[in-house]
Amino acid sequence: MKRQEYIKNIVLYSLLTIGGIFMIFPFFWMIVTSLKTAAESNHVPPTIFPAEPIIENYFKALDIAPFGTYFMNSVMVTVCCVAITMFTTILAAYAFSKLKFPGRDKLFFLLLSMMMIPFEMLIITNYTTIVDWGLYDNLLALIIPFTSSIFYTYILRNFFMSIPDSLYYSAKVDGASDWQFLWEVMVPMAKTSLVTIGLLNAITCWNSFLWSILVIKSQGNRTLPFGLFAFTNEAGIHYELLMAGATIVVIPMIILFLFCRKSIVTGVSRGGLKG
Amino acid sequence: MKVRVEKLTKRFNDVTAVNELTAEFESGKLIALLGPSGCGKTTMLNMLSGILPVTDGKIFFDEEDVTDLPPDKREVGLVFQNYALYPHMSVLENICFPLKIKKVPKAERIKIAKEYAKMVHIDEYLDRKPKELSGGQQQRVAIARALVKKPRLLLLDEPLSNLDAKLRVEMREEIRRIQRESGVTTFFVTHDQEEASAISDYIMLMKKGVMQQFDHSRQLYNEPSNLFVADFIGAPTINQLHGEWTKEGIKLDTYDTVIPFAKGNNIPINQRIVFACRAEAIIVSNRGTVKATVVDTYLSGKDVLANLQLGEQMLRTYIADDMNPEDGMEVYLAFKEAGVFVFDEETGERYA
Repeated sequence: MKRQEYIKNIVLYSLLTIGGIFMIFPFFWMIVTSLKTAAESNHVPPTIFPAEPIIENYFKALDIAPFGTYFMNSVMVTVCCVAITMFTTILAAYAFSKLKFPGRDKLFFLLLSMMMIPFEMLIITNYTTIVDWGLYDNLLALIIPFTSSIFYTYILRNFFMSIPDSLYYSAKVDGASDWQFLWEVMVPMAKTSLVTIGLLNAITCWNSFLWSILVIKSQGNRTLPFGLFAFTNEAGIHYELLMAGATIVVIPMIILFLFCRKSIVTGVSRGGLKG
Repeated sequence: MKVRVEKLTKRFNDVTAVNELTAEFESGKLIALLGPSGCGKTTMLNMLSGILPVTDGKIFFDEEDVTDLPPDKREVGLVFQNYALYPHMSVLENICFPLKIKKVPKAERIKIAKEYAKMVHIDEYLDRKPKELSGGQQQRVAIARALVKKPRLLLLDEPLSNLDAKLRVEMREEIRRIQRESGVTTFFVTHDQEEASAISDYIMLMKKGVMQQFDHSRQLYNEPSNLFVADFIGAPTINQLHGEWTKEGIKLDTYDTVIPFAKGNNIPINQRIVFACRAEAIIVSNRGTVKATVVDTYLSGKDVLANLQLGEQMLRTYIADDMNPEDGMEVYLAFKEAGVFVFDEETGERYA
């Protein structure tokens, strides 16, 4: 019995370790390359650790492209998208889970079926709309099309549906309006789901690339992923510089994740209803 | 506050959950809404709280027509079967919530909440989260939360059914005490007749949406208005013997001796009847005319609970232990005046 457990653990941990290595290796390679000299980064066969780690690549990268501007643009777009998306998602999820109106479920399934349409299909129409509105090469073009999400609404709606109606009625009898119930009871209870949704949303926004290169032109309005792409041309393909740039782009998201991980874990352990 | 309902009706599609119910409930009393599941008692409660809109009829709080008032305007306190505490709030925050909604200043609402926490004996656990409390404690919190806004009406929806047997008895006495202390008119939904009899001033017994009897708790036991009430109230369940009314008295099926019965003047001759008698209304002795056979016996406290056979019908009663009852023994029965009723076999209406 004990032996079996032991073997099971070995197999399990080996698999996890292999998975972990696969996940971490690109990041590892990115950071290691960013610390190499130009000569070493192109060396064949590649060295695993830089012979002499140097930090100059970072200064060079920051010098060549206005990463500060890109960063501010990315932060601005991400914060706006996430904030507005969260707001619309919460309202929609509430309406589709707790409010009663004719055709509610039909309408929701109609929305769900729209998830089948791939984003690439929407690009052309969205592009025309943005140009019509005179928002080409404007940061608003990166925000307005991404202020709602059917997928997140679906996730949150499912969570809201699991909250018993007795809480709703209880709050009603306690004198709360729907609005108060939503913000005083539902939203605090859904903290875990909201953090998860917010995080996914933030990562998607932060990494958004295809749409940005379509609607943004001037350097002053570029976000980080676009900036990084342009960087390959602005600096020629210097892998050590590119990797330094990439590290700069990725770090904020990693910090955000580490920060939120804590609240996700406590959220999960605190969640659930007794009674 | 006095509550009055007039022809109150609730229909869900084809099902009539509450049917033309008219009654008046005295102020400051504890009223049990009693009945088997599906009888409409919870529907009735939900209409009083405003959660369910009424199909027809009116509800008055004192003289005010509240029929179309939404729940947040009715000033009622409600305790659910699952307590419905807000899981992310501490006990204190839960109790404070209705006051917070009313925009009572923070210092004041904490002061008031603490008073109520003390009243329901939960003041030691103010910082705990609901899931860190036992069922009984959660319920105390739910009651405090319902009372803190000084409701005109307190509504309890099967508040005890999630508790274990011992705690249930304890909590029902607590509910009685709290209700007396606060003096608030209280409705209490339950399917347990013993629970209802133990704590309420009045019981409204319902069946399939129709009020069967509404009276002092004692009256339902002593003077049931129909067979359903007699059957529902009391433990052990009232004995029901089928038979026919004759000039000499009650002629039970499969049993030869006619049982004399004094109060049967209004019963038509040859009417099919149910002769119902409570276990404690039967006197068992060694002499008499109504003979029965002991089938089996159980010890129940100081008495022996015995199943007796009259012809092919069964009857359950208490036998004094000093008679040394044993299986197969023949005994004679006599009936007291109280606790013995005659009902129409078909309609269940009471004759005597």
